[in-house]
Amino acid sequence: MAHRETNGSKLFITVLCMVAACSAVPINDLLDRASQRSDMLHSLSTTLTKDLSNHVPPVGWTMMPRPPLCHTSSLQTPNDKEQALQLSESDLMSLARSLLQAWQDPLVDLSNSANSLLHPSQSSISNKIRELQEHSKSLGDGLDILSGKMGPAAQAISSLPYRGSNDIGEDNISKLTNFHFLLSCFRRDSHKIDSFLKVLRCRAAKVQPEMC
Amino acid sequence: MWRDLGLAVLVLLSAAVESNSTSPPGKPVLLSCRSPEKETFTCWWEPGSDGGLPTTYRLYYERERLEGVHECPDYWSAGSNSCFFNKTHTLIWVDYYLTVVASNALGNATSDIFKMDVMEIMKPNVPENVTLLVVETEDSPYLHIRWEHPRNTDTESGWVTIKYELRIKQEKNNKWKEYMSGTQSHFSLYSIAPGGVYTVQVRCKLDHGSWSEWTNSTNVKVPNYVQNERSFWILVATLSAIPFMAAMCILIVKRENVKQCVLPPVPGPKIRGVDFHLLMSGQSEDSTNALIINQNFPLIVGWKDQMEEYLIVTENDIGPPSDASHCQKRKKSLIIPAGFCSDWEIQCKSTHIQNDCAGGTKNETGNFPKNNKSLSGESLSYMEPSKLQKQQCLGQNFVNTEATDPSPLNYDNAVKPFTNSGYVDIRKHVENTQEVNVKQVDYSRVEDVNGDNVFILNNKNLAFNSSGYMDFQRQEEKLSEDYSRVKEVGSNNVVVLQIQDMSADTKNPHATGAHKMGVCTELINSEYIDTIPAPPLM
Repeated sequence: MAHRETNGSKLFITVLCMVAACSAVPINDLLDRASQRSDMLHSLSTTLTKDLSNHVPPVGWTMMPRPPLCHTSSLQTPNDKEQALQLSESDLMSLARSLLQAWQDPLVDLSNSANSLLHPSQSSISNKIRELQEHSKSLGDGLDILSGKMGPAAQAISSLPYRGSNDIGEDNISKLTNFHFLLSCFRRDSHKIDSFLKVLRCRAAKVQPEMC
Repeated sequence: MWRDLGLAVLVLLSAAVESNSTSPPGKPVLLSCRSPEKETFTCWWEPGSDGGLPTTYRLYYERERLEGVHECPDYWSAGSNSCFFNKTHTLIWVDYYLTVVASNALGNATSDIFKMDVMEIMKPNVPENVTLLVVETEDSPYLHIRWEHPRNTDTESGWVTIKYELRIKQEKNNKWKEYMSGTQSHFSLYSIAPGGVYTVQVRCKLDHGSWSEWTNSTNVKVPNYVQNERSFWILVATLSAIPFMAAMCILIVKRENVKQCVLPPVPGPKIRGVDFHLLMSGQSEDSTNALIINQNFPLIVGWKDQMEEYLIVTENDIGPPSDASHCQKRKKSLIIPAGFCSDWEIQCKSTHIQNDCAGGTKNETGNFPKNNKSLSGESLSYMEPSKLQKQQCLGQNFVNTEATDPSPLNYDNAVKPFTNSGYVDIRKHVENTQEVNVKQVDYSRVEDVNGDNVFILNNKNLAFNSSGYMDFQRQEEKLSEDYSRVKEVGSNNVVVLQIQDMSADTKNPHATGAHKMGVCTELINSEYIDTIPAPPLM
C-alpha cells in the first residue's frame, strides 16, 4: 500500500510538472484558487447552520427510527486521514466534483424554500444561500478546468440523484426541520470538498511548504 | 426524661433512614466532545448523583455506517468522566450518537443522546513557543512575534488548515488589539512606543472549527531609543527656518521692487520721428505727414495758388558802352517752371539781376503772375534743386524770352504756353543798334532737358512766329544763328550758356568779370541758373 502510494504520488508529481510546464496558469495556482473558493463555501455554510440553529428547537434525534440520510451518503468517501491520504489525486478530484455536482439542484430548492421560511433572520439566510449558489457555481467551473488538466480519471463524476423536496412537510416546524437537515448535509459535503482540495493543493506544492 | 427518649428515637430513625437512602444514580449529562487535530476526539460528561452507592458510568455510542452499539474504548486517557476515541475509532463526516449510562446497585440512569460529528467539534490546542522580539532598525524599532503550531497537529499533509490570531496590549491600557495572521506563524508590529511594555497572546483554529484557548501572556519591553539625534535635527530645522521666514517677509514687503527686478517692463515699440502719443490722440495730419515723408523729403509748403514765384535769370550783353539810357539790359529771365505735379513743390529763390537802368526792363515779377494766370491754376513755386526731385513735366517747359524794351507788353507777346504749368521766361535785351525798335519776341529754344532740372537753353533772337508757339526741337548739333550754345553744364544745376550773335564769329566767351559798361550790366558771358537751395527741412 505504501509503496503503491509512493509510486502514485511520484507519478502524480511528474504529471503535474509536465502539465505545469505546458499550461499558462500553473496547476498550483489553480488549486490554490479552488481551495480558497471551497474554504469560503464551507465557511458560509457553517455560519448559515449556526444562524439557523439559534432559533430552531433542538430536535431529539434517536437512532430509531433511523434518521434520514443525506442524498450524497451513497458516495464512498474517505472518513479519516489515512483513507484520504491514500487516495489518488484523480480520485480526490473526482470525488470533489461529484459532490459539488450533486448539490446544484438541492441548492435551488434551498433557495426557493428560504424565501418562504418563517425565521427571524430569514432575509440574511436567503442572501447567504444565494451566495452559496454563486460560489458553488464558480468552484464547479474552476474544477472543470482543473480536472481537464489532470486527465480523464479526474473527470469522472458519480451521479448522485436528488429526489427533491417531497418530504418537506407543510407546517412550519417540519419545513424548518427539513431546511436545517439539508443545510447540515451541505455543510458536511462542503467540508469534504474543502479537505480534498487542500490535500491536493498541499501535494502539488511540494516546494512551498507554506501551502499546507 | 422525655427529652432523652425523644432524642433516642430520633437517632434510631435517622440511622434507619440513612441506611435506606440508596437510590439509582442520577442522570449524567454529556457535556462536550472535542477533537484537537481532526484525528481523535474526546468526550466528557458530568455525572449525576450517585445515589449513595458506587456508580459506574459507561458510554455507549452508535454510529452511522456502523452496526450495533459500542462502548467507549478508552475511559482513562483523558481523565475521569471522559471517553477518548483514538484514531482507529474516529471517523469524520459520520454522525455519532453518544449516551452515558450511570449504574449502581439500585439502578441505571441514561443521559440524553448526544449527536455529534467530528467535523463540528474541532478545537485545537494552544500554539506553542510564543517568542516576542524587539527588532531595532535605523528608522524605528518594531515588534516581531513568532510561534509554533500545536504539537499534535499535522501541518504537512494538508489534512488540516490552521489559522492563527493574536492580540497585543500595552501595559498601561487594558485594551487588546487583535490581528489575524492567517496561516503564517509569525507577525510583525510596527510603530511601537519606545519604553513601553507589550503583552502578546496567540490562538488558532482548525478549518472552520472553534478557536483554541489563548496562550499565556508573553511580555517584552521596548527600550528607549536615542532621541538626541532627533532633537538635534529639530534644532537645525528651527534655526534655518528663521532666516527663511525673514527672507520671505522681505520679499513680500518689497514685492514691487522684486517685480521690477525680476520682470522688467518691456519697452514699447518706437518709431523715430513719430510721436506715439500724438498718433494715439488722433491728429492725423501730423501723423500722416510723419509717416509718409521721411527725413530726406523736402519741406512741403502749401500751395499758394495765387502767388507765383519763379526764377528769373537775366543776361546782359556786352553792349557797346552806351549811356545809361541805352543801357539796355538784356535779361534773360529764366523762369524755372515749377513742378507741375501737385504733390510737391519746389522751391527756389528767384534771382534776377536787375539793372537799374532807367529803361528798366520789366522785371517785375508782378507782371508775370498775371501772365501766369493764363496758366492753369498751377503756379510756380519754389523749386528745389534737389537731386532727388525730378521734374516730371519737363517736356512741357518752354522758354519764353522776351525782349526787354520799354514796352511793357512784352509779356503780351509771350508765347502762349504749351501747358498750363510754369514756363521759362527769358528776357533778352535787344541790341539797340539794330533792332531796337523791332518788336521782337525773342525766344530761346530749349535744346535739351536733363533730368536734373537742367536746362540747356539756347538764346537767340527768333523772329516772332505768327504761330506763336514755341518750337520745341532738339538741336543737338546744328547751331543756327538763332541759337546760343550751351557752354557747359554745371553739376549743381548750372547751365552755362554761350552767347553768340550772328555777327560774331567767335565763340569766345566773354570774360566774366567786371564790365566796363557800367553799372547797368555786367558782361556775363556765362549765364547760369542759380538756384538757391531750399531752406533746410525741419
